[in-house]
Amino acid sequence: MSRIDEGLERGTAFAFTLDGQKVEAYPGETIAAALLASGVRALRRTAKRQQPRSLYCGMGICWECLVTVDGAPSQRACMTEAKPGMRVETQKGVGR
Amino acid sequence: MKDADLAIVGAGPAGMAAAAEAASLGLGVTVIDDNARAGGQYFRQPPAGFRHTGAMFLDKDRARGSVLAAALRHPAVAHWQDAVVWDMPEPGVLAVAAGEGSGRVRAKAILVATGAQDRPVPFPGWTLPGVVSAGGLQNLLKGQRVVPGRRAVVVGNGPLLLLIGANLVRAGVEVAAVVEAAPIWNRILPALASLARAPDMLALAIRYRAVLARAGVPVLAGWTVTGAKGDEAVTGCRVAPIDTQGRLDRARERSFDCDLLVAGFGLMPSLELPRLIGAELAYDRRRGGWTVKRDADFQCSVPNVHVAGDGAGIGGAEMALLEGRIAARAVARKLGKQVPADDDLRRAWAKRDAFRRGLEAIYAPPASFLDLMTEDTVVCRCEDVTVGDIAKRRSELAGSVTQVKATTRLSMGRCQGRNCLVTLAAMVAKDTGVDMATIPLPRPRPPLRPIPIGDLAFEDIPPPDIPADPHLPRKQRA
Amino acid sequence: MSAIPRRADIAVIGAGVAGLCTALFLARAGRTVAVLERGEAWGESSGANAGTLSLQVKRNEVLQVSRRAIELWRDFQERDGMEIGFARIGGLRVATSERELVNLRKSQGEQAALGVATEWYDGNRLRDFAPWLGPEVQAATYCDWDSMSVPLTAGHGLVMAVRAAGVTVATGAAVTAIARDGEGFCLQVGSEIVGAAQIVIAAGAWTGDVAQMLGVRLPVAADINMLTISEPAPRLFDRVVTHIGAILSLKQYPNGSVLIGGGWQGTGDLAQGTRRTDYLNLVHNLRVAMQVVPALRHLRMVRSWAGYEGVAADALPLFGALPGVPGAFVNACARGGYHQGPALGEQMAEMILGRKLSLDMRAFDPGRFAA
Ligand SMILES: Cc1cc2nc3c(=O)[nH]c(=O)nc-3n(C[C@H](O)[C@H](O)[C@H](O)COP(=O)(O)OP(=O)(O)OC[C@H]3O[C@@H](n4cnc5c(N)ncnc54)[C@H](O)[C@@H]3O)c2cc1C
Ligand code: FES
Repeated sequence: MSRIDEGLERGTAFAFTLDGQKVEAYPGETIAAALLASGVRALRRTAKRQQPRSLYCGMGICWECLVTVDGAPSQRACMTEAKPGMRVETQKGVGR
Repeated sequence: MKDADLAIVGAGPAGMAAAAEAASLGLGVTVIDDNARAGGQYFRQPPAGFRHTGAMFLDKDRARGSVLAAALRHPAVAHWQDAVVWDMPEPGVLAVAAGEGSGRVRAKAILVATGAQDRPVPFPGWTLPGVVSAGGLQNLLKGQRVVPGRRAVVVGNGPLLLLIGANLVRAGVEVAAVVEAAPIWNRILPALASLARAPDMLALAIRYRAVLARAGVPVLAGWTVTGAKGDEAVTGCRVAPIDTQGRLDRARERSFDCDLLVAGFGLMPSLELPRLIGAELAYDRRRGGWTVKRDADFQCSVPNVHVAGDGAGIGGAEMALLEGRIAARAVARKLGKQVPADDDLRRAWAKRDAFRRGLEAIYAPPASFLDLMTEDTVVCRCEDVTVGDIAKRRSELAGSVTQVKATTRLSMGRCQGRNCLVTLAAMVAKDTGVDMATIPLPRPRPPLRPIPIGDLAFEDIPPPDIPADPHLPRKQRA
Repeated sequence: MSAIPRRADIAVIGAGVAGLCTALFLARAGRTVAVLERGEAWGESSGANAGTLSLQVKRNEVLQVSRRAIELWRDFQERDGMEIGFARIGGLRVATSERELVNLRKSQGEQAALGVATEWYDGNRLRDFAPWLGPEVQAATYCDWDSMSVPLTAGHGLVMAVRAAGVTVATGAAVTAIARDGEGFCLQVGSEIVGAAQIVIAAGAWTGDVAQMLGVRLPVAADINMLTISEPAPRLFDRVVTHIGAILSLKQYPNGSVLIGGGWQGTGDLAQGTRRTDYLNLVHNLRVAMQVVPALRHLRMVRSWAGYEGVAADALPLFGALPGVPGAFVNACARGGYHQGPALGEQMAEMILGRKLSLDMRAFDPGRFAA
């Protein structure tokens, strides 16, 4: 639950929100990386059994990391770059 | 429709090496990859926004990766980024979804270099947040420089586990244990001769082991995870000895606390495209299960389609680089270009191949991991289908796989079966007492990956012919 | 291959919707029935189709059968407890051009004359009624009979119900030859022989081949229809949607996935057993869908496929006695035959039981093709 800083300078931090709460991110980071780095665990709940799920494959093929981004449901947090001011929401089932 | 001499699917080691080679031999190349940056999994590059101020352990291959990726800027190479190949509607033609740029490319030859994915091995709790696949963890480390936990256990099977354990240690994570299902210590000696064929790799493995030893991380060989604990996220795991038949010794079960459980049970080739076009496959458990049958130029049974790298059979990045180059040369030769002899490449390939066999002998997995599952273990993540759901339908339906799929919805979700079909096949194989090799996976249907419907709005195509009376029998395009 | 029965009063060839529904009604009337299926039950058209139960898209000739079928689908679910995903959600049939408006008016009139009333929507009334329709949709008729079912679920539900009614459903049981045996028939299934007093050919697109085993020629063609399913999404629309001019059917399943079809053609050949989606037609299919429901462009497609649909030369059902072969019947090749399956099965059972049919089925007599 942290960023590795050795040998690297990230750009200037910015904020987006998860369910209304501020989250810090750096340019180029994926939504999943920023959320995991700030200690978030579950990203969504499944439709059938309401189970918590989060990043699993990290490469866009398992679709476990789905979140709602600026109102658009089912975006892959591991493949979507975080942007300043983005509104990210954890998702229940198919989203709203 | 775009044109190319060679269309390459995937910009990992095999694809990048092939593109560089083909372009230098005078071919017009199109490289299509679903990531924003070239590199694939192995040479995954951090985002452009990150500035490197010095080298650290994660930078081991970064320089090489950048050199390879730079080759995609060759004027003869078109690099189609954030682009998904979703169909091969006719020989030599690939359908590509890439937002407004979506369309088709027609190529004289195609190289499939689609790499690998983690083998899904379900165990109780494997869907909990904090349980991350080996590939997923490597991507977070290499590509994002983020560690998603403070105390980790690394479980599974295969050479990646030591590397991941070592990487986590060097990233400052407390690693409680590395848990390897194969009894590797007893197997090293007999495999030493083949391992020595790639001294560079051998040295690396020793280094990873040393990092773990210095940090006091126990490496349990012949053990496996039997469950992840936690309600909302992983808080620990249980491990137990497993024998080569896949039998567990639950009496000796022990547990570890952790907030990160890395599960890597080896890789399997991503061969959806070869399967879609009906390429002949061969079952080879040690190379990841289903692999693509190829000739000496890495051409598969479908003419003018070559398959290189892990996407054909697991062999690792170094082999993938060589296969990409050899395949590109074969295509150039066929298209009438002057091509140097491949002897040196093929010799190097043979060495890697020997090394791979040595590794495979050491890491040969137990006969199955099915005993890890319990009644309520999720098999299909997308549709939340458990072992119990499958068992219920199977008893009703006398074991028909298609009907199990239809009625449980297993494999019908977004991952299109990538994380469940091999488990179902293994369950069926075990129940019916047949070999996995006799259970073909269902043929994929387009799109090869889920793509936005809106992407199909952009290509310039001829207008449709709508029949005057749609009730009457139709004509199909030849 | 499952166990093959030796004898039955009636052997039904084909375990699609036509065969299974026929078997169900015959079994309910006390007959012993064996369904012989070459592949998997529900493995062809009936498993591959869209499950659209739209009354207002049907040709006038099959309107009565189709209405009866919706009643029966409802009974299957509500009275008999089959899990078939039936929902009478009403449907909109849209028009996007002047010419289509004229055709839609005309069709509405004809349907009203046949006792199927639909309601006309255009302008603001249409936007209020279905705000999710695209701006190019000029008008639509609403039919409250229009329904849907989920074929994947329905297959399981129906097979279980048919078995519970006492029918033997043998899968992996291809009928390769049929011979007369006194008053009845002998059917060759692998190395086994099945005896039956009467037979029903319900072999879908392969009905021509089976009829040929008895020396009868039926003109059956095979369409190759395509379908595409999207990822599950929040509710975008709540009706069955069809199009009077272009080819389209749309519905959103309870899990949120949208099924997009209508009958755009794939490629392939029934005789060779090949079929796949056609790139250009698939793109056109999805473009029409986006024109009618623009929000679809934000959804991902997860899977598309192509299935055979048997069609007679005049696109009417092949329903009735096989000409010149007493005791042999045909129930196949209805356009929208999934929809009509229960009613065709019910009527077929009445015919075999020698009862007076409750619907007029004469126009569908296979004898119309007898040379
Ligand atoms: C993609 C698609 C979408 C469609 N959408 C709709 C829709 O929305 N609504 C609608 O009403 N209709 C729709 N249809 C049409 C509908 O699917 C068919 O009309 C209906 O399923 C036909 O049912 P059936 O029982 O006659 O044929 P099938 O379901 O094909 O059953 C015939 C069975 O006979 C078996 N058989 C053949 N030969 C032999 C033999 N020699 N021995 C033993 N068994 C044999 C076959 O294997 C098959 O299982 C669609 C069709 C397709 C392909
Ligand atoms: S973690 Fe698998 S798709 Fe994002």
